[in-house]
Amino acid sequence: MKGRVTYRGEFPVSEDIESILGVDWDVPRKPYPAKTVLLPTGERMVIRETAREEAPKILQAITPLLTVSRDFYDIVAARQYAELLGWYRRRVRKEFCLVGIVDGKLAGIVNSRAYDQKTHISYHTVALKRGARVGAQLFAAKHEHSMETQGAEEILVTAESPIGFRRWIVEWGLQVKPGVQHELGGVKTWVITRDIYNKVKPRLVMGSRPVPEDLLKRSATFEIAPLDWVSKE
Amino acid sequence: MTKFGRHDDKTLIDLMVESSLRALEDAGASEKNVDAVYAASMLAGELNNRVAIGSALVDQLALIPAAADRVENGPASGGSAIKNAYCGIACGMYDTVLVTGGEKMRHVPGETITDYIATMTNIEAEYVHGVTLPSLAGMLTRLYMERYGLTEEDLARVAVKNHLNGSKNPYAHIQQPIALEGIYGSPEAEVNNPMIADPIRMYHCCPVTDGAASVLLCATEKAKEFTDTPIRIAGIGQATDKMAVQDRKDPAVLEALRVSAAQAFKMSKTTPQDMSLAELHDAFTILEIVESEDAGFFKKGAGSKALRDGVTALEGRLPINPSGGLKARGHPVGATGVAQVVELTWQLRGEADKRQVKNAKRGFSCNLGGFANNILAFVLERS
Amino acid sequence: MSENRLVAYKCKKCGAIVYPKRFLCSSCRGRDFEEYPLGGEGKVLTYTKLWAIPEGIEQLPLTLAIIEFDGKVRVTGQVLSEEVKTGDRVRPVWGHIRKVRGKEIQGFRFELIS
Repeated sequence: MKGRVTYRGEFPVSEDIESILGVDWDVPRKPYPAKTVLLPTGERMVIRETAREEAPKILQAITPLLTVSRDFYDIVAARQYAELLGWYRRRVRKEFCLVGIVDGKLAGIVNSRAYDQKTHISYHTVALKRGARVGAQLFAAKHEHSMETQGAEEILVTAESPIGFRRWIVEWGLQVKPGVQHELGGVKTWVITRDIYNKVKPRLVMGSRPVPEDLLKRSATFEIAPLDWVSKE
Repeated sequence: MTKFGRHDDKTLIDLMVESSLRALEDAGASEKNVDAVYAASMLAGELNNRVAIGSALVDQLALIPAAADRVENGPASGGSAIKNAYCGIACGMYDTVLVTGGEKMRHVPGETITDYIATMTNIEAEYVHGVTLPSLAGMLTRLYMERYGLTEEDLARVAVKNHLNGSKNPYAHIQQPIALEGIYGSPEAEVNNPMIADPIRMYHCCPVTDGAASVLLCATEKAKEFTDTPIRIAGIGQATDKMAVQDRKDPAVLEALRVSAAQAFKMSKTTPQDMSLAELHDAFTILEIVESEDAGFFKKGAGSKALRDGVTALEGRLPINPSGGLKARGHPVGATGVAQVVELTWQLRGEADKRQVKNAKRGFSCNLGGFANNILAFVLERS
Repeated sequence: MSENRLVAYKCKKCGAIVYPKRFLCSSCRGRDFEEYPLGGEGKVLTYTKLWAIPEGIEQLPLTLAIIEFDGKVRVTGQVLSEEVKTGDRVRPVWGHIRKVRGKEIQGFRFELIS
């Protein structure tokens, strides 16, 4: 069957093909209420949800990490790149993405997706600003979004790097969910249940709301700072 | 010294050569012969697959046929190497000795490092039960909290002070200041500063670091051949204590520091009050406080008050760790003892730039091997 | 050492008590020891809860303490309770301590005497 080709900017897109392959990415969903968290450096990080249109800029920011093999940055960045690109190109369902912004600069990115109303799948956490616990705060924020804003009952989590494992799976006291494979195809799947979330929340999920108006306005966009900790060869 | 930090592209020997060349150049000794080289490293064999690195270093520096040894004394390898070099000169055997301490550790997972370091505890009494150095720091801190009223805020204040000093030190591993409320007292502190060995938290522990530091020692009468501002090693002390913390007379007292510091002060004919600054071994921030007391600077139990009063800040009466200490300068284990003496040297020469201690005339350093069961103490002074 | 009793060693020359067994008495360098059973009760001198646990340990957190017996000798060990405080009375219990490179190690741990 021949579809009617319509030019939509860069990519000529067949509307009928898009209706077959394009997913319901534009799911009505309660937005994440932005917050600020205090970093060990004394700086305040704004954590807010991103719109799909911001994805290309985020992809630009994580590109330098695609070849950094230490601490498994390459696979984490490569996978997050694919996930966010898939979200942008309407090939991944019900994904969301939060970013951390410090002094107008992108500090970190976290993403997850809703498998269904009950179960969310945690994707990745990338910290561009190192040594300031940015990842820990963003990890907590995306689960806050899943559990509290969207009402999920469980979140499936996995880890590729030992740092991710130790920092989050051990720190949160997660249990293994047997018999379930995480979408990323790794060794084990851990789960954050409502009980676990409520138990760790007082200790591990925090922040100030609302974000002061001028700070929120400033954080509506972000710059990409050069990654001085990535060696230049 | 090299910059302390992460050096993925360099080997341990690369770092030690780089540091050695800088010291030789600084001393105007690049074309001179050196009689002996002492290379200090705690874990060269375990982490870098290299043994007998003294020989490797003397070869790479083209200083053959100089005598060469590797010195290993846990995290006091650097201090021991300086002591050995001093003795080699003092007994008349050598005139000029190069000491370089180095460690390359960041390429190894943290748990592996912690395990190797834990093997310097008493194996049967401590290690086998799961004791690690952070756990010993935790138990010492618990004793101090119950006996002397030390607070968690005190532990955090040491970190804040040392990070501030480190931000002024271009060689420091971490040059990022931290805010007290970022690691203590705010809800975020619980996430930012997780518990490691209750009550010791992440920001109370020094980082794992790559780096090397070097000093060139020579006989006093030859000093003018190298520099117009020689710095004298006026006093050295070294003492051991029972290996297992359980066996110490009082587990809250670093007896080996009391003895070794007293030796260094006696040999240099000085007292703690004569010191302009001190570089202490703050592998855990509790240790800076305890060492400041047991080295003789403050009464037992009064170290945290001195900290809170600003006495040990850069502008205070007795700046402690103007370099940023192990906490911010970093802790490449074999290099630390040498790096402390490098800092004292720069400070006493007036070359410490943004972190210069005013009118620095005499400095003290102590380098801990084991969990304070083998300590070297040094007193340096301007000639 | 018997699996049932926690035993220290008393120097035959000077009477000092040491634990664990060692070549020479730390006080007088004597080489002869006799067994000195530590009995069923010690007191916690200090403790910590270790969250960064070593490989081969499964307990998270791992509670460690230095325990004093009769005011004469101290033993370091795991405590089978997170609720320990300084001054608590504990008794030694034989069992699994940890693995070291896969090898199972047994020894004395301590449980609270309520």
